[in-house]
Amino acid sequence: MSLRRTAVTGIASLLGSRVLRRLAEIRPPDSLVAIDVAAPPPALGVRHHAVDFTEPASDQRLLELLREEEVETVVHAAFFTSPRRDSTYAHELESIGTLNLLAAAAAAGVPRVILRSFTTVYGARGDNPNFLTEEHRLQPSPALSWVRDKLEAEQHAAAFARRYPGMSVTVLRFAPLVGPGVHTFYTRIFDHRVVPLLMGYDPLVQLLHPDDAVAAFVAAIDQAPGGAYNVVPSRPIPILTAYHLAAKIPVFVPHPLAYAGADLLWAAGLGAAPGAFVDYVRYLFVADGEKARQRLGFIPRHSSRDSLTAYLRYRHPHAARPAAEAAS
Amino acid sequence: MSESAKVVPLTKGRRRRRPEVRRAETREAGHDASEGLLVALARVLQAGGGGVNWARLAQVWSAFYFAWHSEEVDEFGYDPKFAQTILPFFEFLYTMWWRVETSGVEHVPDRGPALIVANHSGVLPWDGIMINLAVRHEHPARRECRMLALDMFALLPFLAPLLAQSGAVRANPENGERLLRKGEVVGVFPEGVKGVGKAFKQRYRLARFGRGGFVRLALRTGAPIVPCAVVGAEEIHPKIASVDWLGRPLGLPYLPITPTFPLLGPLGVIPLPAKWSIDFADPIPMDTYGPEGSEDPILVNRLSEQVRSIVQGMVDSRLARRRSVWFG
Repeated sequence: MSLRRTAVTGIASLLGSRVLRRLAEIRPPDSLVAIDVAAPPPALGVRHHAVDFTEPASDQRLLELLREEEVETVVHAAFFTSPRRDSTYAHELESIGTLNLLAAAAAAGVPRVILRSFTTVYGARGDNPNFLTEEHRLQPSPALSWVRDKLEAEQHAAAFARRYPGMSVTVLRFAPLVGPGVHTFYTRIFDHRVVPLLMGYDPLVQLLHPDDAVAAFVAAIDQAPGGAYNVVPSRPIPILTAYHLAAKIPVFVPHPLAYAGADLLWAAGLGAAPGAFVDYVRYLFVADGEKARQRLGFIPRHSSRDSLTAYLRYRHPHAARPAAEAAS
Repeated sequence: MSESAKVVPLTKGRRRRRPEVRRAETREAGHDASEGLLVALARVLQAGGGGVNWARLAQVWSAFYFAWHSEEVDEFGYDPKFAQTILPFFEFLYTMWWRVETSGVEHVPDRGPALIVANHSGVLPWDGIMINLAVRHEHPARRECRMLALDMFALLPFLAPLLAQSGAVRANPENGERLLRKGEVVGVFPEGVKGVGKAFKQRYRLARFGRGGFVRLALRTGAPIVPCAVVGAEEIHPKIASVDWLGRPLGLPYLPITPTFPLLGPLGVIPLPAKWSIDFADPIPMDTYGPEGSEDPILVNRLSEQVRSIVQGMVDSRLARRRSVWFG
């Protein structure tokens, strides 16, 4: 029985590394291949191929590799979870890198591709419904290259799925990860004592526990049903409630000032995200997890509050009595 | 129950509460955070001046927030604890200020979905809050009614979070359908902005019922429509003129001029104490047409017009019986 191998990219990212580790637990290590510039932990016993997706000839290299390893499933998780200042490199890796990988997979006749994506690709907009379903149009702010590159990766994937009917492409749109082991610009907000907040706005946000994310990812790799799936926690949380659970001192900023201020801080190298990101703390981008529940059988075990509480416990294991624990 | 649940609520004895409602909410909220506030304050006092630091202040601030907010909200952001906190104010308006007289509330079914369709008036969405209270307090099954709020309110800074926390949901077809499919009672104002912002001389003349979106919603879900007429709300903020060019930069379709606003400044926001009545008519079954009826524009229009004329008829008959705006 050949052609049963699963290749995982982006194994240095939190989600990629956790998925690879989980797969190594439930499958023989020989059936796994890691494709990344970084090597996986040797203890896993997983074969590693160092490929830089941003190199022009990487598609040729990937094609040979996928053929030689007889890969059946490609799991693509090589994406940045925080905005980066060198947006050119991020674009090369995320948009062009995905294109290279898809081209190689199509040429090698790989039947199943799983793409890691983000609920941020819907865009946070005033006219969003409370629950975004997978069919909802994707229109993030064009000013945010960090999200635009993910959107382009999804568009490449959709185009390949149309052009190659024999290739099933499954896209997983994960809500922002918050929980033990997560270090993104999103969780760093919870590490400061005083945090800026938008005056007059309190949107619901979804914070996904990494354990739930890994469970959904592995379920999708097993089934590879094709199409897009939102992977979200069981309940959203108002952003103000999240800050108060973390016992932050909020400083309320009027929104016109917030866009300009965030842009200024970003340009000065101090901010965590460019100004256009303010949309994501101003408007809703809550996604509906019903399709994943029905088709993947994925039922999240953590609510947004649980994810945040777990993160706070992980960051402050010796805290006297974090507000978040009062209820448990 | 944890030890934190034993604490006596700060509000004890101040007013009557319906015990069955309170039990449900305590369960939902998980614990009584007013203990958290007292303990946090005591810690600061105990520590004296030297022991006050950012961490302790943040704890007091957080405990203060959770004294009147839940840690978990529902998927649309409804916060039972917050709703309970502001309930006495709305009850005062209902029983003392507007002396609301309700009839026919038993026409709302005891269980299963229903769509309450009412006329909209009064510049601010007070009528929605009062219909919600009428169903919650006067209906034999004490049903919750989720009001669909117009975008102009549901997206307005400061008002938007308050509406979401007190149970209102932004009016769009996806949200309405989701609630009805869960079997909830949903309230809707098809007149929209044309209704709530109509000039005083247009009072009680119902505007066009949108494009029949509420009928399509009811047809798709099979939820019966309960026509509802509100009389009295037209007189609480008599809008004698409006300044559109001033409203637009604030995100409002109009800025109302009433006899008291902006003349009396913030005091002008206080609604006048007109005598209200809220009448419910016999439910109109919608499951006889089947969901495919929602694709039939002629049927949708006919049903929409039928509901509109029932509501207009109820309004007219109330007005004919009314001898005084203030005393009914």
